[in-house]
Amino acid sequence: MNTNKSVLIIEDEKSLREAVVDILLLKKFLPIEARNGSEGVSLALKKHPDMILLDLIMPEMDGATALQKIRADSWGKTVPVIILTNLSAVNEQLANDVATDRLTHYLIKSDWKLHDIVKKIEEILQ
Amino acid sequence: MIENTANKKIISAGDSIIYNLKVLAKEKESVRRKLAVTAAKLARAAKKLAVIAKEKEVVRQKLAITAEKLKKSYETLEQKVQERTKDLEASRAKEEAILLSIGDGLLVMDENGIIIIINNAAEKLLGIKSNDALDKAFSTVIRITNDNGTIILADKHIAITTTPVILDGAVIGTIKIFRDITNEREIDKAKTEFVSLASHQLRTPLSAVNWYAEMLLAGDAGDLNPKQKKYLDEVYRSNQRMVELVNALLDVSSLELGTFVIDPEPTDVRLLAENVIDEQKSEIDIKKMKFSFSHAKNISLMQTDPKLLRMVMQNILSNAIKYTPENGRINLDISLKDEQNIMIKISDSGYGIPKNQQDKIFGKLFRADNVRDKDTDGTGLGLYIVKSIVEKSGGKIWFRSSTEKRTGSTFFVVLPHININK
Repeated sequence: MNTNKSVLIIEDEKSLREAVVDILLLKKFLPIEARNGSEGVSLALKKHPDMILLDLIMPEMDGATALQKIRADSWGKTVPVIILTNLSAVNEQLANDVATDRLTHYLIKSDWKLHDIVKKIEEILQ
Repeated sequence: MIENTANKKIISAGDSIIYNLKVLAKEKESVRRKLAVTAAKLARAAKKLAVIAKEKEVVRQKLAITAEKLKKSYETLEQKVQERTKDLEASRAKEEAILLSIGDGLLVMDENGIIIIINNAAEKLLGIKSNDALDKAFSTVIRITNDNGTIILADKHIAITTTPVILDGAVIGTIKIFRDITNEREIDKAKTEFVSLASHQLRTPLSAVNWYAEMLLAGDAGDLNPKQKKYLDEVYRSNQRMVELVNALLDVSSLELGTFVIDPEPTDVRLLAENVIDEQKSEIDIKKMKFSFSHAKNISLMQTDPKLLRMVMQNILSNAIKYTPENGRINLDISLKDEQNIMIKISDSGYGIPKNQQDKIFGKLFRADNVRDKDTDGTGLGLYIVKSIVEKSGGKIWFRSSTEKRTGSTFFVVLPHININK
C-alpha cells in the first residue's frame, strides 16, 4: 500500500522509535520522529501529520499531557492518535478519553507485532 | 459393912462401866476398821482419779497444742489468701493494662452486643470516650461502615476484624479489632505505581527484541538462511514467553492490589467464545484434536466484563489444549445454570491433575508434576488469575479431574448473569 501518509512517532526510546520508523518506511509511510512530548506537540502542530503514535512515559512532557495539548488545537481535535505504550494501568482521565474518543486508540507495545500495528494504522487511515 | 456393900456396889458398878467401855471399844474398833477399809477404798479411788486426771491433763495439753497449730495454720492460710488475692489483683490489673494498651483498637461485647471493654487505641481510632461506649450497644456507638466492612472516619481507613469469644463451646461475646490501615493504603498506592512503572520498564526491552526479531523473521531486512531463521525463531518465542510472564505477573499484582477494574458491559458471550476458539484454532489443528462447541439457545447478551471473561475462557481453553495429547478431544459448552447464572464448561481428554495435587492447582506458580516435563511453557499463574477474576466477579470455579484412562479434566465456571460487582 503506497499511502504517502505522514505518521508522527512520539517515543523517547531510540530502539523502539527506530523500529517503528523502519517499518513505516518499508510500508511507504512518511515517518516523523519526536523524542519527547513537547517536541511531539510542536512537530504535530507544525507538520499536521495524518496520524500520531504516542508513548506515555517520556521526559520533558508525558504523553497524556501531549495528547491534551494536541486535542486543544483546532486541527489536533480530529487527528487520529494511537497511544502506543507499555503501561497497563493508566490514569482514569486517559482511560475515559480512550473509551469515549473514537479517534484515540490504545495499544500495548509488547503485545503488538509491528506488522499488526501497521495494519491498525492502515485500517484507521482508511 | 455398909461400906463393903457400897464397895461391892461400887465395884460392881465399875465392872459394868468397864464392860460398857469394852463394848464401846469393841464397837469403836469395828468402826475404825470400817473406816480404815473406806479410807483404803477412798485412797484407791483417789489414785484412780489421779490417773484419770493425769490422762485428762495430757489430752488437755494435746488439745492446747492442736489449737495452737490450728491457730497458726489459720493465720498462714489467711496470709496466703491475702497474698493470693494481691497477686490476682496485680495480674488482673496487668492483664487489663495489657488489653487497654494494645496498639490496635479493641472492643469487647458481651453476648447481647453490649460493650464491656474498650481500649485506649479504640477510643482514639473511633473518636469516642470509654464512658460513652461502655454498657452501650455497639450499633448505637458506631454506625459508619462501608461495603468492605471498613469504617471510614474523616480521612482514616480502619479495618475491622470480628471474632466470637467462645467459652466451653458457647459464644459469650464478640471481640472487634480496629486497625488503622491508612498507611497500608498509601503503601498500596505506591506499590501500584511501582508496578505500572516496572511494567513499563520491563516491557520496553521486550518490545524492542520482539519487533526487531519480527522484522528479521518477516524478511524485512532480507532473507535469512534456515539456520538463522531457526535461531531467531527461538529468540522470538523465548521473548514472547517473557512477555506473557510479565503480563501474567502484572495481572497477578493488580488482582492482589485490588486495582483490577471490573468493567461490565453488554457482552455477546457466544461471539466472545467463538473469538477465543478462533484464536486457538491453529493449536487445536496442529494437535489434530476433536473440538466441539455447544451452547444453549438462550445464551446471548450478558452484562459482564468482556476482557475478563475472555481471559477466563482463554486460560482454561489453552490449558485444555496444552495438557491434552494429540488426537484428544476438547469440548466447550455454555449454558444457563439458572435464572441468574451462566455456566461455562470446558472438558478435555488430557493428562488430568493428580489427586494429591488437586487442592493446589489454583495456587500461585503451582504446576502439577505430571505436566511439568510435557509442557515447559506454563507460568503456573493462569488458573490463579482465572480463579481471582471469577471470584471477584461474584462467580465460582471448580473442576473434576482424573489421571486415569484419559478421563481428563472438566472445568466449570459459574458467573452471575448480571454482574453485580460494578
